Amino acid sequence: MFFYYLRMAKISMVKHWGLSLLMILAIGLGIGAAMTTITVNYMMSANPIPHKSNQLFNVQLDSWDVNEPYFDDGRPPAQLTYRDAMALMDARKAMRQTVQSQANAVIEPEGDDSIPFQVSARANSADFFTMFDVPFIYGGPWTRQADESKEQVVVINSEINQRVFGGENSVGQTLKIAGFYYKVVGVIDYWNPLPRFYDISTGAFNETEEIFVPFSMIAEEKINRSGNTNCWKPSGDGFEAFLNSECVWTQFWVELPDNQAWQEYNDFLTAYVQQQKAIGRFERPLNNRLLNVMQWLESMEVVEDDAVMMMAMSLMFLLVCLLNTVGLLLAKFLGKSGEIGIRQALGASRRDLFYQYLVESGCIGVAGGLLGLLFAYLGLQGIDSLYGEMTRGLTELDATLVLSAIALAILSSLAAGLYPTWQASKVQPSQQLKSQ
Amino acid sequence: MNEIALIFRALLRNKVGAILISLQIALTLTIMVNAVFMMQERHAQMQRPSGLDEANLFYLSNTIFATDYNQEVALRDDLELLRNTPGVVDAIQINAIPLSGGGWSMGLQTEPGENQSSAGVAVYMVDDHAIHTLGLELLSGENFAETDIQWRESGTTRWPAKTIVTQAMAKELYPDDWQSALGKTVYISQTQPIQIIGIVRALQAPWNGWNGVERSMLVPYQMETSNSRYMIRTEPGRRDELMPIIEKALAQSNKGRIIRGLRTMEETRERSYRGHNAVNKILTTVVFTLTLITGFGIVGLAMFSINRRTKQIGTRRALGASRSQIMGYFLIENLMITTLGVVIGSAGAIGLNIWLVNTFTLSPINPVLVVIGIACIYLVGLLAVLYPARKAANISPAIATRTA
Amino acid sequence: MLSMTNISKVFQTDEIQTHALRDFSLQVNEGDFVSVTGPSGSGKTTFLNIAGLLETFTSGSFLLDDINVSGLNDKQRSRFRNEKIGFIFQSFNLIPDLNLFDNVDVPLRYLGLKGKERKERIEHHLDMVGLASRMKHLPSQLSGGQQQRVAIARALATHPRFLLADEPTGNLDTHMAQSVMSLLEDINTKGTTIIMVTHDNELAKRASRKIQIKDGRVSELDKVIDHDIDVSPQAIA
Ligand SMILES: Nc1ncnc2c1ncn2[C@@H]1O[C@H](COP(=O)(O)OP(=O)(O)OP(=O)(O)O)[C@@H](O)[C@H]1O
Ligand SMILES: [Mg+2]
Repeated sequence: MFFYYLRMAKISMVKHWGLSLLMILAIGLGIGAAMTTITVNYMMSANPIPHKSNQLFNVQLDSWDVNEPYFDDGRPPAQLTYRDAMALMDARKAMRQTVQSQANAVIEPEGDDSIPFQVSARANSADFFTMFDVPFIYGGPWTRQADESKEQVVVINSEINQRVFGGENSVGQTLKIAGFYYKVVGVIDYWNPLPRFYDISTGAFNETEEIFVPFSMIAEEKINRSGNTNCWKPSGDGFEAFLNSECVWTQFWVELPDNQAWQEYNDFLTAYVQQQKAIGRFERPLNNRLLNVMQWLESMEVVEDDAVMMMAMSLMFLLVCLLNTVGLLLAKFLGKSGEIGIRQALGASRRDLFYQYLVESGCIGVAGGLLGLLFAYLGLQGIDSLYGEMTRGLTELDATLVLSAIALAILSSLAAGLYPTWQASKVQPSQQLKSQ
Repeated sequence: MNEIALIFRALLRNKVGAILISLQIALTLTIMVNAVFMMQERHAQMQRPSGLDEANLFYLSNTIFATDYNQEVALRDDLELLRNTPGVVDAIQINAIPLSGGGWSMGLQTEPGENQSSAGVAVYMVDDHAIHTLGLELLSGENFAETDIQWRESGTTRWPAKTIVTQAMAKELYPDDWQSALGKTVYISQTQPIQIIGIVRALQAPWNGWNGVERSMLVPYQMETSNSRYMIRTEPGRRDELMPIIEKALAQSNKGRIIRGLRTMEETRERSYRGHNAVNKILTTVVFTLTLITGFGIVGLAMFSINRRTKQIGTRRALGASRSQIMGYFLIENLMITTLGVVIGSAGAIGLNIWLVNTFTLSPINPVLVVIGIACIYLVGLLAVLYPARKAANISPAIATRTA
Repeated sequence: MLSMTNISKVFQTDEIQTHALRDFSLQVNEGDFVSVTGPSGSGKTTFLNIAGLLETFTSGSFLLDDINVSGLNDKQRSRFRNEKIGFIFQSFNLIPDLNLFDNVDVPLRYLGLKGKERKERIEHHLDMVGLASRMKHLPSQLSGGQQQRVAIARALATHPRFLLADEPTGNLDTHMAQSVMSLLEDINTKGTTIIMVTHDNELAKRASRKIQIKDGRVSELDKVIDHDIDVSPQAIA
């Protein structure tokens, strides 16, 4: 019977092609718009490290000015001061911990004719790579000992490896970075968590860095730190004074395997702040945060207002398209009440009729859904061309999204078709057969 | 009048259809009005002047990697080279670029001390060529003298004794009379005195989304930094031709650094407002398609109801109804449906706006916009029903005698 | 096989109640050819609709093949209509979007027959009414008489035991009416029970049994000849 209904749907759609086209177009546009904005939101709110996002925690301490909060809503600063980060690092109370900051440097490759070039860098401690599951092609992370003894070691990404070493296994080679020689210990594969959760102070959707060096290189003044710096109190002159200042510019993450570990670490943070209060720092009320990846992204409002607003708009747009479809389907099906009466007289039950017209609605839905996918694809291309590299990685349709687009299309057109179909199957046969 | 009551009663018999179109119209109005409103807001933001001679400015980054590098000498050489290049009007070293998104901000306060309220301000570290290079308009006071320029060592927290601020900053400090700011000593970094020696009309901060984007200050500093920027103003029309020439000249004059990141101010503005632009284009598309869909929805439904009533309309014609009466029937029917939609839609538009105001930082809607939206909707409804209504009016009275 | 006792049907509209049938009792046996006459508005169509399970009734009892019809749900009623009853309407009631083949196919689909069997039956019945060559035509491309013949083919394709015809010749000329009548007589002799509403006295006489409905009540006309039969054609709706 299903194929019979399909054929009937086809006949009916061809017969009223203008109306069918209008409905398919409306659903297509609605789905297209909705999917475009949903994709961007979905990508912005994606879990960048799903298998362990519940074990990685960002540390926030409220070292800010007693007179005014860092954020208007009372959230503590998004970053830590150097001295607090170092104190937490030295305590080593978590299973793994990493302190980090963005940096930049110039690489001078060997050879007389080679041209120096600028790279984005990250200064971090050894656990960074294990904590965030950074994939290596060659070698691996440096050791904690390397951190402590301030060794000049570097992990580079595959592009830099290609550019400087021609893509070969470069572990053990040296690289001149910002005037100092570093030993390559590892080469990482393509790695691109979205959002780039480990440091959103410099853009949640930026690319990962090209090279990674030990965090101590900053204090040694062997590499230039960059990124976001916020101060509430003037620091003294000189770099030493800056390091000891109340300026926040480091990101601090810990890995805690379970609830108990979380509890213990949280207690440790409380104790740390209490102890600092005793020496006159941390004048604000106790306001530590130890948020896991998703909580952290949520509290930092990584999903942009524009994206949320667009999604709201496009969902309303979809609603208009669906109302449009409900109206047109209703008109179409009621226009068929004569046929419905005849079919009932010839032995069709209400259920048969309901099914038949649901198939017709479904056909329109599937056609609309496919068209919607096309529109979503075009819409994402459009967003790409409007925003340029600013939407890097946010505008790709994956299988989940394609499937949910089709599901959304069919569901919404069935929802749109339900009322008209129900009305159609309620037609009184005797009324219809008489008046022709 | 009797006719209208008749149409109304006929409509009531097909309640659901009428309500569906009304809802559609209501949502369209809701979205349309709010979208246009948001577009207007963004447009207004983009219209704010940066205060710069944008068309003739570009900048570049100077990244020093050599360890044996005398920055003070090199900077002097670079600026001399730039300023003597034919076609270049003037050039400066600057710590941040307006509208670029990255920069430096401080607080200024009128009284010294830790617990005084301060006003945030964007800081531009420049020399006495800044006003000329950027193309700023000095409203009162004077420019820095060459002797005011100090060498700023990296890591220092001391500030020079003089500053030039924007009119907006002067107003922020002295709300009653911004002109009185001239000559006043204010405090930076809570306690360090700094004297306002000049006021410029406008100079935007690096952050376009900051509500203090008009508040900036210039301080007479040349910086020791391994990563500095040069801003260069060219004679009109020569910017693009000079950019590669200058890049090459600088790169060749000193091999201990990298010259990179050349970008025009125009491009910086484009990038800065790209999000705004994109949102506006998307919203325009949404409003346009939405109106089309609603319009075609009205056409579709009207056509359908006319097709179903062909015989009835023919009979009416046979019984003496004129063409214009038939057309009038459908126009009035449409008017009733649109009115219902407009009533619901106006409430919806204001409701959505309230939500937007509460959820995002948006200001309340201008009621005039709602009125314009309503007029647009009526127009769209009228246009949409015109074709079906004319088709109905053209139905031949002879239909009545034929068996359909 | 059809047995109605004290059936009444009341149409309840906003203010007025219309008693379309009252105390209506009728017994029809297998193989009967019953003609139904009566003035306009007397309840003939209502009777046929109830007999064909298209409409419910207000009170009384109605047994079809010894089954009490009032206890059936929509699905069972549809099944009943599909398997046992064939309809022919005054206004033909073909589905305008479907060609002749597909029109005849409709009840066979609900019967759940295999494709081959359906095809055979459709071709056979269209052939029977002389329209096999027009299978791909749409109803709008046929004359009234041809449309009515398709409707008959459609009604017979399911091999119904009951054929209900509401003024099958009302829209046809005398010649066409005669041939449709002959077709029905032919079917009747093959065992199909027929109930036919007509305003044509001549045709009514050819039935094996004649009844008249007046004011919603039935009266047997085998002996009595009624004089005030309204022969004006149905008004155009
Ligand atoms: N759906 C309905 N609602 C209200 N009254 C109805 C309805 N259908 C029929 N009637 C009324 O029931 C009565 C019988 O109608 P019916 O159609 O059975 O007459 P009929 O004998 O077939 O007449 P005709 O020969 O003109 O076709 C009429 O008075 C009619 O007005
Ligand atoms: Mg009748």
